[in-house]
Amino acid sequence: MQKTLYLFASGRLRRKDNTVCLESENATKYFPVASLRDIFVFGELDLNKKLFEFMEEQEIVLHFFGYYGNYVGSFYPREHYNSGYVILRQAEHYLDGARRLELARRFVEGALANILQILRYYQNRGKELAGSIESISRLLEGSLPACGRVEELMAVEGNAREYYYESFNVILDKSPFTMPGRSKRPPTDPLNALISFGNSLIYAKILTEIYKTHLDPRIGYLHSTNFRRFTLNLDLAEIFKPVLADRVLFHLLGKKMLDLKDFEQQGGAYLLRERGRRLYVETLEEKLQSTFHHRRLRRNVSYQTLLRLELYKIQKHLMGEQPYKPFVSRW
Amino acid sequence: MYVILVYDVNVARVGKVLKRARRYLTWVQNSVLEGELTEASYRALKSDLARVIDTREDSVLFYVLGARKYTRRELMGVQKGGEEWIY
Repeated sequence: MQKTLYLFASGRLRRKDNTVCLESENATKYFPVASLRDIFVFGELDLNKKLFEFMEEQEIVLHFFGYYGNYVGSFYPREHYNSGYVILRQAEHYLDGARRLELARRFVEGALANILQILRYYQNRGKELAGSIESISRLLEGSLPACGRVEELMAVEGNAREYYYESFNVILDKSPFTMPGRSKRPPTDPLNALISFGNSLIYAKILTEIYKTHLDPRIGYLHSTNFRRFTLNLDLAEIFKPVLADRVLFHLLGKKMLDLKDFEQQGGAYLLRERGRRLYVETLEEKLQSTFHHRRLRRNVSYQTLLRLELYKIQKHLMGEQPYKPFVSRW
Repeated sequence: MYVILVYDVNVARVGKVLKRARRYLTWVQNSVLEGELTEASYRALKSDLARVIDTREDSVLFYVLGARKYTRRELMGVQKGGEEWIY
C-alpha cells in the first residue's frame, strides 16, 4: 500500500542512499521510497534536479503549496504509461460537442447526487434541509437533462452549489462558523478558507491518480481545456469534493476539532494555520484509507482506490467499452 | 503486510544493510526497521539484502504480520525513530 508524504517541515529534501531524505536543522529523516506515492510540500524546501530525476525514476508526483496554503504547482514526472490510443480517444471526445457534453453532464450529475447524499445525511439527523434538497433535486432532474451546452451545465452546477453552501449554515448551526457565500482567491472567511484548502488537496490527489493511468490530465470535459492547465482532475474532483473534502470538513467542525483560533487573517484573506492544516490532512488521509464494500467488485476498497477506479471507468467510456456512470455515494 | 526487520550483521556490512532497508522500511531503532510493504516490495527487499550479506555469519530476521489488527506495540523509554507520513 502506497503512502502520501505531507511535508510541513522545512529543510533540504534530497536523494540519499537511494531513498528520500529530509535534512532539517535538528534532524535527518528518511522516508522509504518503495511505498511512496506522492509528496505534498507545505514547508520551505530546498531541492535539486537530482531529486527530481529520482522522483521521475520512482514515478512519484510532487505537489507544492505556498505559504498561504495555495496550490503552487506539481512536478508531474514524464509519462510512464503512454498510450496514443487513449489520448486520441480523449481528444475525440473533447472535440465532438455531443460527446463532450455527455461526459460533462455525467460529472455534474455525480457532483449533485453526492451533494444531495450529504444533505440527506444531515436531514436524517434533524437538520431542516428539505428546501435545499428540493431545489438541488429539481436542478438534477429538471435543468440538467435540458442543458445543451457545457456552459449551461456549469451554470446549473454553480446554482446547485449556491444552495448547497447556503445549507452549510443550517448544518453548522450552533457553531462559530458561518457561510456568507462562497469566496475564493482569497477566501474571505474561515469556512471558505477551509473549503478552498480541502479542494486544492483533492485536485492534487486526483492528479496523482491520473498519473498512474493512461489518461492525460490536460484534457477535461466539464472544464475547458486551455493552454497548459490540468483540467481532467478538476472534472473528477466535482464528484469527489462532497464525498471527501466536505465530509472531512463537517467531521472536523462537528466534532469541534477546529475552532476560529486555527485561522488567521492576513489582509482580507483568511488562512488555515499549520495546526489546522495538519489536522485536516490527517483526517483526509484517514478517510482515504478507510474501506467500504464495493458492490460490483464484491470486495472492500478504500476511497484512495475508488479514485483510481473512477479513472478506469472514464477510460472504458473513452474506449467505447462501457458508458461512464459517476460514483454516487449510497451512505 | 506489515514487516519488522531486525538484523545482526558484521560491522563491515551494517551500513550496507541499513541503506538498503531504508528504501523500504522506516528506521525504528538501531538494527530495527518496520513498515507496510506489498508482496512485491517485500521480495525486492529480501533480494536486495541477500546481495550484501554474508550468509555464513550475518543474520537478518523478518517478522511478517498479515495485519496489525491483533498486534500491539508498546514502548518503554525513548522513542528513537518511527513512521511519520505527516512531518
